[in-house]
Formats: sequence, structure tokens, C-alpha cells
Amino acid sequence: MERMTEPDAGPPLNRMIAAVLALIGVLISTYMLLYHFGVIGSIVCGTGGCQTVQNSPWAKFMGVPVPLIGLLGYGAFFVTALLGTRPGAAADRRIAAVLIAGAVIGAAFTVYLTYLEMYVINAWCRWCIGSAIVAGLLLVAVIPELARLRRSTP
Amino acid sequence: MAKANQKGSSPKTFYWILGVVAVLGIGAIALAAMGGDSGMVTEPIELSDVGDAAALLERARGIAIGDENAPIKMLVFSDFQCPGCKHWALQVEAPLKADLVESGQVQLVYYDFPLSGHPHSFIVSRAARCANDQGKFWEYHDLAFAQQEQWSYSRTTPTDLLIEYAQTVGLDMGQFRSCLESDAHAETVTANQMLGAQLGVRGTPTVFVNGRQLQNWNDFQAAKAEIQAMTGASAGATTGT
Repeated sequence: MERMTEPDAGPPLNRMIAAVLALIGVLISTYMLLYHFGVIGSIVCGTGGCQTVQNSPWAKFMGVPVPLIGLLGYGAFFVTALLGTRPGAAADRRIAAVLIAGAVIGAAFTVYLTYLEMYVINAWCRWCIGSAIVAGLLLVAVIPELARLRRSTP
Repeated sequence: MAKANQKGSSPKTFYWILGVVAVLGIGAIALAAMGGDSGMVTEPIELSDVGDAAALLERARGIAIGDENAPIKMLVFSDFQCPGCKHWALQVEAPLKADLVESGQVQLVYYDFPLSGHPHSFIVSRAARCANDQGKFWEYHDLAFAQQEQWSYSRTTPTDLLIEYAQTVGLDMGQFRSCLESDAHAETVTANQMLGAQLGVRGTPTVFVNGRQLQNWNDFQAAKAEIQAMTGASAGATTGT
């Protein structure tokens, strides 16, 4: 039986979409981080929710500002997705595995943060919701990676 | 998407989209970083021609509640970011208003005294005065004190929270925003602070009862008893306490 390989006609669409989404995540995290460190004096939020969330004890996770975790996470995901768009990288199992793991961990962390907003802090930050939407879409965007993982298995 | 994944897609379009998202995002963040609180005054300003007390009195302006002919006049110098002032406002001043002010025995006049160590005190004083423009100073005052922990530890100016409180007390938001995001009332708040300093205010809250400083400001009953003692027991006569 012939082994299935990814045609090399161009970068996989799902990885390109994932890269764009991760870049949006990087930008949101950067904005929140600049506000966290006081570089940006006032956050555009529409309500006071962003300030409430950012000023709460849950603005840090194990001592690390949550926006910094977001920036590093989305940044790593962006680089991986970008590497996955190189010619010949479509069949690379390591990239598929990292994208799946990254999206799942990111979504789990987002669920935790959204839970905090809803039940503990009792405030909604629109930028956090934006990031949660990005994390959810990333989870959808990596679904084709599951097939890629299976296909690449000898 | 599956079909597209099989065939792959145009990398040129992809890089264009990435570039546009990056440029727009970085541009928006740079604008936010540079724009910040432009125009919004968050700390005391320089006041000229306030050398003598009379000139300062003209610029300073308290916010009064109660009968202006009341026999007892209380001047309150307070700081929105001071925890003691929160205690005073919610635990002592509130029952005093319900009791002595309502009964016409006391007129209470609020003056701002933002302490230098409290970075958000000045802007909250301005916000409360913006609320006063719409006749809702005391509602805003009570809410800002009640929510003090929420905004007090903010590393940056808590503009959004101040706007949220304005919404809660039912202000005209357009009017409130343009007031807050300007230098409105900066002169008055600064003048109030200078007036307090001239009157010997060193900390907050400082309360003067007919010109004499109230010592027992942290307990309603004790404050009321002291006011009675200072004013010849006229206070509280109607309630019999």
C-alpha cells in the first residue's frame, strides 16, 4: 500500500489561519501586558471590567502576570504555526503535535480564566473574552492536525 | 478546510494578511500607549494668585448637604483613597447625615484633601465633582468609597471604573466623560487641598465642627456625643440619644 503524504502544493490553510489567530492573540496579550506594567495609562474596555480583572489577585498566575503567559503562549504557537507553513513541513508530526498540545493547553487555561471572571472576580474583561474566542478558534483550527498525526505514522 | 489543506493555499495572500494584522495591531497599541490619558488631569495643578486666604477661599468650594442655616456646620476634609475616610464616610458620616443633617441640626460641607501618597485620590475627587455637576455628588461619593478596594490598588488611572460608577449612579455619560477626560474641577480640588493645609489639616479625615476639630471621627455614637458636647448638647436633642 502506498504511504499517504501531504501534497506540497502550498502551506496548509489551517496552519495559516492558526498563525493569524495566534498573531491576534499576541497583540491582545501585548496590549494587556503594557497596561499591566503601566505603559498604557488607560485601557479601552467599555466597562470597568478590564481594570477590575487586571487589579484582582488573579491577574497573576503563580506570580507571573497572566498577559505575559498569554504573550509567550501565543508567541510560541505563532512561531510553530509559521514553521508549519514552510515547504515540506506539512507532514511534520512534531509540528502537528506541538500545535495540538498548545491549543489544548491554551483552551484549558482559557476555561480556567473565564471561570474566574464569571464566578470569582464577577467582572468581564472584553479583551479577555477576545482572547478566549481566539483560543477557542485555535482549538478548531488544529483539528486537521489530528489527521496529519495519523497519516504521518509509519 | 480539509480540501484546502490537501491542496494547500497561496502563501502570498497569507503573508499579506499577517502583515496587515501586525501593522494594524502594532499601530493601535502604539496609539494607545502614546495617547493614554491626554487631557485628563490626575494630579494637583499650579494655582496662581492664592497668596492670601481670601483669594484661596474664593477658589475653594465645598459641597454642602443640609440646611444652610443649621446651627452646627461641619467641614469635612477627606481623601477618596484613604481607608480611614472610607470608614468615616460609610460608618460615621452616613448615619450622621441620616440623623443630624436630616433633622436640620447640621450642615455638612465636603472638601477634597487628596494626600500626595494616594495617586488616584485627585482623579476620584474630580470624578465626584463631575457627578456633582449633575447633582449626584453624594451618590458617587458613597459608591467610590464603597468600591475603594476595587480602584485603589490600580497601577494605572482607574478611568474605566470611574466611568462605570457614573453609569451605576445614572449620570449622563457623555457629559461625565467629557468632564472627567479634561481638567474640569482640577482648580477647585487643588484649592480645597490648599485651603485644608492653611486650616492645619495634616491627615484625613479631618472634621471641623463649628471651627473646632472633631477627635472621635471613627465611631458614630462617640462622634455624636462629642458634637453634642462641642455645641452645647443641641445635637441629638430631637432623637433623644
